[in-house]
Amino acid sequence: MEYITSIKNLNLKFPKEEGLLFNDLSISIRKGEKVLLLGPSGCGKSTLLQVLTGLIPRSMDVPLKSESIQIPDSWGFVFQDPDSQFCMPYVDEEIAFVLENLRIPREEMTDRIKKLLTTVGLQLDNIHNKIQALSGGMKQRLALASVLALDPEVIFLDEPTALIDDDGTAQVWDTVKSIADDKTLIIVEHKIDQIIDIIDRIIVFTDDGTIMADGEPAYVFSHFKAEIKRFGIWYPNAWGEYIKEKANITYNNYSDTVLNLDNFRGYRGKVPAITLEKATVQSGEWIAVTGANGAGKSTLILSLMQLLRTTGEYKIEGRPIRSFSDLEKKTYFVFQNPEYQFLTNRVIDELTYDIRQRVSPDVMKQANDLLSLFGLKDKQNQHPYHLSLGQKRRLSVATAFLQDPKILLLDEPTFGQDSKNTFKLLELLQEESRKGTIIIMVTHDLNIIHHFATRVWEVKGGKVICDWKKDEIKREEGRMYEYTY
Amino acid sequence: MNTPIKESWLHKVNPALKLLILAILFVFAVTIHQLNVMIPFTLTVSILFFLCTGQPYRNLFLILIPFFLVFFSTSLSMILFGKGDTTLFKWGIIHVTEESLYRGVHLGFRALVFALMGITFVLTTKPVKLFYSLMQQLKLQPKYAYSFMAAIRLIPIMFEEFKTIRDAQKVRGLHSEKGVWSKLKRIKALPIPLLSQSIRRAFRIAVAMEAKRFNSLQERTFYYQVGFSTYDLLFISYIVSSIGLSYWLASEFPLFPVTDVRY
Repeated sequence: MEYITSIKNLNLKFPKEEGLLFNDLSISIRKGEKVLLLGPSGCGKSTLLQVLTGLIPRSMDVPLKSESIQIPDSWGFVFQDPDSQFCMPYVDEEIAFVLENLRIPREEMTDRIKKLLTTVGLQLDNIHNKIQALSGGMKQRLALASVLALDPEVIFLDEPTALIDDDGTAQVWDTVKSIADDKTLIIVEHKIDQIIDIIDRIIVFTDDGTIMADGEPAYVFSHFKAEIKRFGIWYPNAWGEYIKEKANITYNNYSDTVLNLDNFRGYRGKVPAITLEKATVQSGEWIAVTGANGAGKSTLILSLMQLLRTTGEYKIEGRPIRSFSDLEKKTYFVFQNPEYQFLTNRVIDELTYDIRQRVSPDVMKQANDLLSLFGLKDKQNQHPYHLSLGQKRRLSVATAFLQDPKILLLDEPTFGQDSKNTFKLLELLQEESRKGTIIIMVTHDLNIIHHFATRVWEVKGGKVICDWKKDEIKREEGRMYEYTY
Repeated sequence: MNTPIKESWLHKVNPALKLLILAILFVFAVTIHQLNVMIPFTLTVSILFFLCTGQPYRNLFLILIPFFLVFFSTSLSMILFGKGDTTLFKWGIIHVTEESLYRGVHLGFRALVFALMGITFVLTTKPVKLFYSLMQQLKLQPKYAYSFMAAIRLIPIMFEEFKTIRDAQKVRGLHSEKGVWSKLKRIKALPIPLLSQSIRRAFRIAVAMEAKRFNSLQERTFYYQVGFSTYDLLFISYIVSSIGLSYWLASEFPLFPVTDVRY
């Protein structure tokens, strides 16, 4: 049997970490296979890709030992972060960088660049286009184009859509499908709905880096469902089953109006970047802010947090809000990158940061309860930067809860999270909304809009164009699919 | 660093040559001790700045504002406190003499011409072309050239990130406290997330470059062939003749009676 890449008895350990990440791991992949690697975050899937390509130990110094490693003759690698895999400022220069490395004569470069861009469906009027001006989906297709410039037999994809929106995700996977025919694909990905149909082999890892299952998708999902669920790995219809288990997602109805907006505008520079005609919001409402990329969703919640200049009427509990200091901690904002909001050196200090002057036993108890609730109790003395991505996200939401804000603003808090973390986070938010907190959350996820939100604001071209209540959401669902996908 | 509105011949001069000549001019400007030479030389450099950078005049004048600040601050300290024999004005520790006046004005012009040369270079040179030229003409190692180009790409990203981090920390209540101590804390809180993010990003880019088969040791082809042209000759002759003209003007039509401003 002809293998294109394989490893025999790999042992690998990260410096300063306890235990081996891989202990005698063997894996072999045949030419032309489309392989998906699944596993809980931190189980070593990305590391494995880097070993299979030789990036470890050639580019990254990680101690490893193995009986044999067979690296494919030609390979390309698409990374997760669209902003940190390019070294040149312009589209043509970036692909040219690869061609230069391959010593392609200069005269042939322009033609090749144009051809590669057409292959990945990047139609640009001028190939000398700033990379910074491209959307996330376009950037990842550019990454694919520069990978194809290497004419690789094997393409490694390390969560290429984890940081981009649904539109971009669809674009990227469509492109991958169109070029995949004669290639071997080795993919690590959480959001699997859109690629599962081209995958013919799934390898599932446990959290200690051993292989739990290996086979065709249908076989793996039918035989190892329970384990996959336990590890928090997304699988087809994960949402459907979750909703069935939690038959009743209920809400308390409050009647007191907390938030009044009238002719509300948020500015970026001198131009209004978001306009909301009129809205009143009651305690306990859960508003999903949705719309295409660049429509103004984040601008809306940044404006509500008074981090941008605003005009028009904006009242919380009848008091007019004109600047950040007027908010008096009645609103709280959870940013997409949790690291930005960490200010202390210990997880527990993060929670009590604001009230450190008078940390009473009461507050301490509350903080400890929150940590247990968020599954961070045993991490309380760690540095926040040492947590995993899911834990960091939970901690940054937990800091909001101790403040007990009237309005909680969140920017795509479930982005790139595994199923366990997503459901957990949503349940915690729901708990908070039952107590009366208003939740305003930017999200693309239709499942969240459908099952958790009580109200939807649709943003388009810098305006809030629709405001639906719960019963209208279902009715409008068909239309909503049109723009989210 | 913005793309100029219209390109002039100065944009087409070989970047490595331009850099080299400017470096020589910097040294040369330090050796000018005659105000009568300095003023015409500054004028010839400002002609390049005004006519050849391709920027609208509004931008050019905006850029000039800080330069005049540099001019006045540099010259004033010398004018007011410099040594000299022929007193023009004296009040307390302020002692303006003819010698210190000339010397101060001379220093101001020197600072101004430095700034003008630097900004003219930046406005007429694309960083990518500069590094290609350095690799091709001065044999700079590709690993340095491409690292610099990657770093330049990161600057605007870091700037965006800086704003986001400030907002994020404001929400946490970092900015609500008053007093010097909390201001210090605010400054202290910024570099850690900013640096941790940048280091991570730089590391990722380095790995991505190697994944694209970047190899510093082997020969490579170049997407941009940066060579020499008649524009280079034009640039060299402009500089040579402007120096010649300055000295000629200084000897034939001296603006000031002093020849050497040194005391």
